Amino acid sequence: MNVLVAGFGFIGRDLIKTFHSKSTLIKEIDKDFKVIGVSNSRGYLYKREGLNLEKLLSISELSKYPKSYQPRGSTTELIEKSNADLLVEATPTNIKDGEPGLTFMRRALSNGMHVVTPNKGPLVVAFSELETLAKKNDCEFLYEATVAGAVPIFSLVRECLRGDRIQRISGILNGTTNYILSKMYFEETSFELALKEAQERGITERDPSYDVDGIDAACKVTILANAIMKREVKFDDVERVGIRGVTQEAVSLAKKSNYAVKLIGTIDKGFEVAPKLVPVSHPLCVHGTLNAVHLETDLARELTLVGYGAGKETVSAVLNDVLTVLRGRGKDRPSKPTRI
Amino acid sequence: MKFDLTLALVDRPGQLVRALEPIAKNGGNIISIIHEREKPVEGYVPVSLVVDFPSKQNLKRTVSDLKSLGVSIVKSEEVVETTRLTLILIGRMDLKRLIETRVENVRIIGFEVSAPASKEACVKLELEIPTDLVDEALDELRKVSKEENAILISSI
Repeated sequence: MNVLVAGFGFIGRDLIKTFHSKSTLIKEIDKDFKVIGVSNSRGYLYKREGLNLEKLLSISELSKYPKSYQPRGSTTELIEKSNADLLVEATPTNIKDGEPGLTFMRRALSNGMHVVTPNKGPLVVAFSELETLAKKNDCEFLYEATVAGAVPIFSLVRECLRGDRIQRISGILNGTTNYILSKMYFEETSFELALKEAQERGITERDPSYDVDGIDAACKVTILANAIMKREVKFDDVERVGIRGVTQEAVSLAKKSNYAVKLIGTIDKGFEVAPKLVPVSHPLCVHGTLNAVHLETDLARELTLVGYGAGKETVSAVLNDVLTVLRGRGKDRPSKPTRI
Repeated sequence: MKFDLTLALVDRPGQLVRALEPIAKNGGNIISIIHEREKPVEGYVPVSLVVDFPSKQNLKRTVSDLKSLGVSIVKSEEVVETTRLTLILIGRMDLKRLIETRVENVRIIGFEVSAPASKEACVKLELEIPTDLVDEALDELRKVSKEENAILISSI
């Protein structure tokens, strides 16, 4: 299978590194696995015989890879030109219009190319359009890393809960706010101090509103509602309250009654992100940067998954999606002929 | 709908079966029964039942049938299932308004205030609410806290 990677930032690089370190495992599933193109906003690399991953990892800029670089070449052009089998779309998230990832995904799926992505933006903006496009073109469209990073929520539902009706999903879907609220709970610091520490440790951005105002968690609620509950939900349909107003007094009052305050995303009759009281004995009561997703279903009743939602662990979910495509499609669908 | 019924039966053999017939006939499902035969009061034996009837109408018919059989009814009232909720509110707000929510049968069973003088006053409330009114009560509390510019933190 011929693979393209759009985005050569933190996740893109990490993915290339993982493709290299797990090459034996990957080749066992698909002996013809090759990364034939890598792009970023400045240009792309394309080599139909496959790029040398070790060489890719040694360069700081795509332009430094010998010969194969196309300066100012667009990812769309690479998708058209390469006729690859799979696009891993890992460009930066943009929840306003989903771009540029949305255009790349549309183009890839329309060309019969499978898509794997950790990019929330296009899914928040156009989930049902992308799903429909994937079905129409008989393509896999997998996005495990978009919600709760390495926590395999979509795979679990797809593979292990085929007969269950999911009635409710609730969870800690943002590691930064969990870090801040955990600091306030254990060290009795103020929100401002805990936020400052999160910024100093690089857990949150300089502008933390994406995390602390619940925007990131609301994006994930939107994706979960669409993908798992099959509800056509837009970002603006999610009621959203962040954690800026949560005071140390409130956290202490909760603690005295054996509760912790957590920013919880909920999907049941409605869609909500808000600080909630979580009993300390409840499986959702996890601390630090951990994420947790709690499913309530008609048959299995209750299931909770806990794991890391951001950072380098995310690559685990992206790789698993890639392997799912290779396993499912590699055997019965031969690689497309590569265009020269 | 569950009802709490207490009957006073004459202390003679066969009275209990006789009293249960109208309950069955009117669609009542007996959930529990306590027959205190060893504790008669002035020749009457108290029998306490929790019965699930399809509607209040079925209970009324049962009560009327029991009366015509000469069975005394000491008590017949609906059993209200309640849920306990813990909430925290952050912000200065009119507590009186909060307490007077329009949802019926909400009882405040716990109350704690922290930093009452500050802009970020914090109140913890423990409420007992009829189970079927929990959503309605939470909606009302959400509305009030929004109007009062307060943050409501409810339990999951």
